[in-house]
Parts: sequence; C-alpha cells; structure tokens
Amino acid sequence: MLGFIIQRLLQAIGVMAVMSLIVFCGVYAIGNPIDIVIPPEATQDLRDEVIRRLGLDRPLYEQYFIFIGNLLKGDLGRSFVYNIPVLELIGGRLPATLELVLISVISASVIGVSLGIYAGYRPESLTAKTIMAASVLGFSVPSFWVGLILILTFAVNLGWLPAGGRGATIDIGGIAWSFPTLDGLSHIILPAINLALFKLAMMIRLARAGTREIMLTDTIKFARAAGLSEITILRQHLLKLISIPIITVFGLELGSTLAFAVVTETIFSWPGVGKLIIDSISVLDRPVMVAYLVLVAFLFVTINFLIDLTFALIDPRVRRGVTS
Amino acid sequence: MGLNTTITRWGTPPLLILGGKKMRKQKFLAAMAVALGLTATSMASAQTLTMGVRGGPESIDPHYSALGPHAEAAKHIFDTLVWSGTDLQIEPGLATSWSPVDDDTWEFKLRKGVKFHDGSDFDAEDVKFSIERIPVVSGPTTTTIYVRRVADVEIIDSHTIHIHTDGQAATLPNDFIRLFIVSSEAAANYSTPETAAEGFNSGAAAVGTGPYKFVSWEPKGDLVLERNDDYWRGKGSWEKVIRKEIPNDSSRLAALKAGQVDVINYVSSVDYLALENDANIDAVKGDSVYIMNLQLDQRKKTPLVRAIDGSELAENPFRDLRVRQAIDHAIDRQTMVDIVLEGLGRPANQMMPPGFFGSSEDIPMPEYNPAKAKQLLADAGYANGFEVDLYCTADRLPGDGAICQGLGQMFTQVGIKTNVNAISKTVYFPAQARLEYSMFMNGWGTLTGEASYTLGGLAHSNNPDVKLGAYNRIEYKNDDVDRLLQTGARMMDADQRRATYEEAMEKVMADKAYISIVQLQTVWGAKAGSVEFTPRYDEDTLAFFIKSAN
Repeated sequence: MLGFIIQRLLQAIGVMAVMSLIVFCGVYAIGNPIDIVIPPEATQDLRDEVIRRLGLDRPLYEQYFIFIGNLLKGDLGRSFVYNIPVLELIGGRLPATLELVLISVISASVIGVSLGIYAGYRPESLTAKTIMAASVLGFSVPSFWVGLILILTFAVNLGWLPAGGRGATIDIGGIAWSFPTLDGLSHIILPAINLALFKLAMMIRLARAGTREIMLTDTIKFARAAGLSEITILRQHLLKLISIPIITVFGLELGSTLAFAVVTETIFSWPGVGKLIIDSISVLDRPVMVAYLVLVAFLFVTINFLIDLTFALIDPRVRRGVTS
Repeated sequence: MGLNTTITRWGTPPLLILGGKKMRKQKFLAAMAVALGLTATSMASAQTLTMGVRGGPESIDPHYSALGPHAEAAKHIFDTLVWSGTDLQIEPGLATSWSPVDDDTWEFKLRKGVKFHDGSDFDAEDVKFSIERIPVVSGPTTTTIYVRRVADVEIIDSHTIHIHTDGQAATLPNDFIRLFIVSSEAAANYSTPETAAEGFNSGAAAVGTGPYKFVSWEPKGDLVLERNDDYWRGKGSWEKVIRKEIPNDSSRLAALKAGQVDVINYVSSVDYLALENDANIDAVKGDSVYIMNLQLDQRKKTPLVRAIDGSELAENPFRDLRVRQAIDHAIDRQTMVDIVLEGLGRPANQMMPPGFFGSSEDIPMPEYNPAKAKQLLADAGYANGFEVDLYCTADRLPGDGAICQGLGQMFTQVGIKTNVNAISKTVYFPAQARLEYSMFMNGWGTLTGEASYTLGGLAHSNNPDVKLGAYNRIEYKNDDVDRLLQTGARMMDADQRRATYEEAMEKVMADKAYISIVQLQTVWGAKAGSVEFTPRYDEDTLAFFIKSAN
C-alpha cells in the first residue's frame, strides 16, 4: 500500500510540474493585456511605466522562473486588475463555490444513486420508467436554459426565491458561509438545482446500469440462495460492487463542477470562482488566470489521487495490480 | 448655443418621473414572498436603495483606476475637486472657483466647512496630498492622466492652492473631474502600491467627504454604504445604499423583476422593448456620451482592402475623398437607429454629442443617398467596387456588433463588398493598436466634456513630442487640424478656445476619415413609481442623485 501511495504521489508531482509550464506559457503566449488595461489617452511614458510595474518587460522564461519561485513560497502573484494577492482573491470566493458545488453534487449523488438502483432493481415498473424518462430530460436540456427558466418561474413570476446573489452569510472559522442562514439557503436553492440536474441524470443512469448488470450475476444469486434479505443484498453486495464507477464519476464531477460552475454562477450572479475566472479572462488578468488554472490542476490531481486510494481500499485487486 | 437649447430641440427633457400601475399584482407577490419567508432582501425598507450595476470598482482606492465604473463607485464616497454635471460640463465641486493666474499657473479656491467622514476638516493639505499620491498608487488603467499636466502644487493658504503646470494647460479643470480627494491623515500610511489596496479595501483609509460612508466591499461583490448626514450638498435620500455588481444583463433584469434590486443600469435594447409593456418596471432612457465612429485607414498601403477578384489594388482607396464621401452617403443612420438599435440612439454627424465644448452646430447631418455613393465610387475609378474587411467590437458597448453588421450590408449595397468581423474587445484593441485594420469601428466617449480630449487623441497626427494623437490609428493627418489643436490647447480664453475647437471639428468631419454614425443611448430600469433621477451622459448611476418618489 505504501509503495502504491509513493508511486502515485511522484506521478502527481510530475503532472503538476508539466501543468504549470503549459498553463503559464499558454496564458502568456496569448493576447496582450497592455492594450486592454491601459486607457487610450496614456502616453508612451505611462505605458512603459505600467509595463515595467507589471513585469511584462522581462522575457518569458524569466517571468516563468519568477512565477515558480514565488509559487514555491506560496505566493501566486497579484491581480493586474485589483492589485491584491491572487490567493486572497480566489480564497475569498472559494467558499461560495464550495458550498454550492458540495450541496448540488452530494444531493445529486444521493438522490441519483437511490433512484438509479430502484430503476435497475425494478426495471419494468412505471416509476422506473418515469425516472428514466426524466433522466433523459436532465441530460438533453442545456443548463443555461434551465437556469433562466428557473429564474423566470420561481423568482420573477412566483417571487418565491431570489433571482441571484448570495444572501446573508455567517462567519464560521473566519470564512463566510451562507447555508446556515434561511436567507442564504433561499439563495442557494435555485443555482444548486440548476447545477445538480445534469449530475442527477448521470448518477441515475450509472447506478441503473450497474444494478442491472450486478443483479444478474452469480454473486447475487448465491446471496439470495444463502437466504440473505433483499435489503442486505442491496446494501452489502450491490452497492459495493457498483460503487467503483460511481466514485470515479463523483470525484471527477466534483472537481469539474468546482472548477467550471461558470454558467450557473454567471446566470445566478453567484460570487464564486467560476465568475471570477470568466471576468478575469475578459480583461486578460494573467496572474488570476494562471493561478486559477494551476489550482484547478492541483485540484484534479488531488481528487484523482484520493479516488485511486479509495479504489485501493475498496478493491484489493487495484493495489495488487500496481505493486506486483 | 449651449446644451440646454440643443436638448430642448430634441424634445424629451431628460428628467422622467416614474409612475406606477398594476400595484395589486406586485403586492400579491410581495405578500406571498413574506408568507414564505424566503426573500428577505426583497423586502428591504424604503430607506435602503439597492442598485444592480454592471461593473466596478476594482478597489476602494479612488486613485487606483481610471475606468468609468470605478469612478462611478468612488463618487459615492469621495468628492472631486471639479464636478462634471449631468451634461458633463464642469461645475464647482470641492473647489468653488478656479482661474488662471498666469500662463502656467491655475488658482483653485477650496470649499470651506467641508468635513471628512471621520470628522476632520478638509483643506489644501488634502488636495496636495491627493494629487501627489496619484502617480504612486495608480494601477494599470492609470489615473495619472488626470494630473499629467501638474508640475507642482503650492499651498497659498488653508483654502487656496496654486497648480503650476508644464506649459499652458487650458483644460486643467476638465482633467480634475476625476481628481478624488482623500484624507491626508487617514491615507497617510496607505499610499504605496503594496499598502493602498489593503488600507482602502478594509475601510481604514476609505475616508472621503462624499455623500456616503464606506461600510464594506468585496471584489465583484456588493459595495455597502451608509449616509453621510453632514454632506455639504445636503442629506441624501437613502440611509443605506447597496451597490450590487451583476455583470450579466439578463440576471440584472431578473433581479429587478424579482424585486431584489430597485434600480439597474444598462438594460439591453431587446429587454428595453419588452419593458415597454411591463407596468411593474419603468425604463428611463438617457443620452450617452458614446458615439460610434467608423475609421478609414489613410496609409498608402492598407492591409485589408482588395479588388473584387481578390487582386491587389494599386493604392489605398480610402485615401480618395470621393470614396470616403461615398461611404458616408451609403450609411442610413436613421434606419440604423430605428431598426438596429431599437430606437436607442440618435444619428450622429460629429465625434461629440451636441452642446459639448467644441462641437459645432454648422456641421450638416450627412445625407443617405446610395445612388450618389455609387456615382462617387465610379468617379473615383471604382465602378465595380472593391472588397474590404470591417472590424469592430461585439462586447463593449450596446449594439456595437449589430451596428457593424448593418454597416456591412449598407456598404455592400453600393458595391463595396464588406466582410464583417464583430469580435471581442480583447482581440480587437491590441490588433487596432498594431495598425492591422483598414476599416474599423468603435465607440468613443468624450468623458471630459470638451473637444481636446477627443480630437487631441484621435484627429491630431500621432506625435509623442506634443503628447497628441496617441489614439490616431488611421494615420490621419491634416496640417490645419494639427495647428488648430495645438493653438487651442494653449488658449486660456474659453470662448476663443471653443471657436478654435469648433473649427477643428468641422475640418475633421469634412475630411470623412472619421465618420460618426450614431450617438448611443443608455437605459436604466427601476421599479415602477419608486424613484426619480436624471440620466447622466457618462452613464453613471449615483445614489445621491436618485430620489425616492414616495
């Protein structure tokens, strides 16, 4: 097990090193922030001064090494636009995204897996067919449209829920969270539903497919023959066996939603990191773009690492496959 | 002459009082929301004004950025030395009067009895401190342009200062419309690039003399303000102001419809049409300072023009006045306003709105005449026309991409085959600066309210020695115009200067290298019957000037 962990850790570090280079060169090779951030009336002296202050007069490799040097010290640079440390900027908005994403991904998974198992366990029932039909809808309707319809229905026409923004927050551990307050919760509901729909549909289909497959195997037949109750069979055997693809998808979805909840955050004016990155791209705020992409790479590497560890714990074949 | 007469000639006075209908439905919805206990924010008291705005600020330090939304937010907390009124003509602000002492010195008299939010007195020391602080803490969108002419600040007494300039600076008071005054005591320790953002964003240094006091702010989030009861202009209408940043146009409108905000800015032209039929929402329309200008490259060789068969042309057709006149005659400005902009604009005949300092009343509105355009093209030797790529932004100002499409069709009709490229501003501006375009269009706002800002940047030949023409990306050069602009910049007598700039404007527009198309209009949305305010040319949404209608 230890060898497995070390091997995966080294892989992760290698991936991060390559990613930082690609991200940095990619972002710095495109566009020129100078003509966007400096106003037309600026004279050449002023332009030169700003270019020097932002460090854009140095060659690319020098900028990269400065960036890596600072990164190792835990400094991701200062935003061109706000002149405050990028970590502070992203850190201040991460809780908003985090709570939105966790609520939507976890509820989508819990509800989706339950519904999916049911649909796979009693495939011929009317309920199962309804669930499956609804899941097709969840897949095929674009999320920006669903978001707009949700706002139109529940905020504009019915006036039950707010149309956007984050609502009241409470400080827990120095970080502002909105889910503990009623007002905050009312602001989360619509964007969370919007974000969860696609994942819900996917979880249903994944769990159903797994269930259909496993229910026909000898494992289940022998378990039934041994006289185990149906609930025990579902919990002890079925759930464990279908969990590997579900955990993989859960992890990847969690990562990609954290990183790219952009559409939902934009439609619902949710002050999260997704909106920050889109705003930063539109003004070519390079330090924010680079820092964000590096953090996203880090997030995915970490999640993949944890997923692999979980597999190794659940399924001994995975560990053996690597160490032997 | 003057702005007032011009506006009256157009008809609608800009002040609109919003009247309410269909209150029953609104009350029902409100009652429902209360019953469900969910939309607490929508039920905020009448003493709170919640504004949904498209952008800004980037920092609470008013000297950090020169962008419009940044200044708009700063105006709530800080005052400027010179105030720019609704029509952008200058008025007293923290300075009560100003006059030239000699060719390179301006005297400013400061307002007495003004107090900062922390109770300390405003005096000459704060002005000197603010001016000297700007070059140090300015960010990438540099505010240094507002004090670029200042050589030295001399304190005469506690309420009189002399500004020494580098040569004659006739438009210095116009430059000072965004000279925000911060407290020299509160900001003393927060005036380096490293400490400024922290000091102001935390509120420690965010001490101004403005109508509202700073409470809290987060980047791209809410700016929360409370009323300054001792404000020298009088007490504002609202005890509390929340300025919510909602960049997405549809989301901002949804927030207004859902009752989460009271006022929003930048309603899109499509939504504006829909709002006309919505009794719960009032739309307030105001003239904007932005004018869309078509720009025609004047270099001998221009990259993106070719003959219809794709072969190279012998010379750049845009250097021929007849071709430029033909292009002007091919533009149907009224249709552009009525169809493309859904009525949200006015045909434009020059690069500034009417009534601005240096705009001329003698310039005729160009005539739409496609037959004449074809004739002029034939006279110039382009009977078969030619082909050109037209570039413009699609994400900067309302309708920019659509106007561009419209132009493409109009030009193609008279025989100039036009390929329209409406692209993102992040691609457009750098390419424009590299002189990669032959025919391009973008908006320009005369934010200082006078001609030297616009003609000096665009119409003077590019000459870093005299700091003019930095934005002239078509290599336009007219010696008469250059001469007029240089003499105008040195004329301390306002009437003479106005006449000089008017003459320059007439010459530039006659040359047709810059062709003004439309002046844009901006739309605000508000809950029906709730507020009244006068739209400003610079599109600022200022809580102090928004009055409760109840």
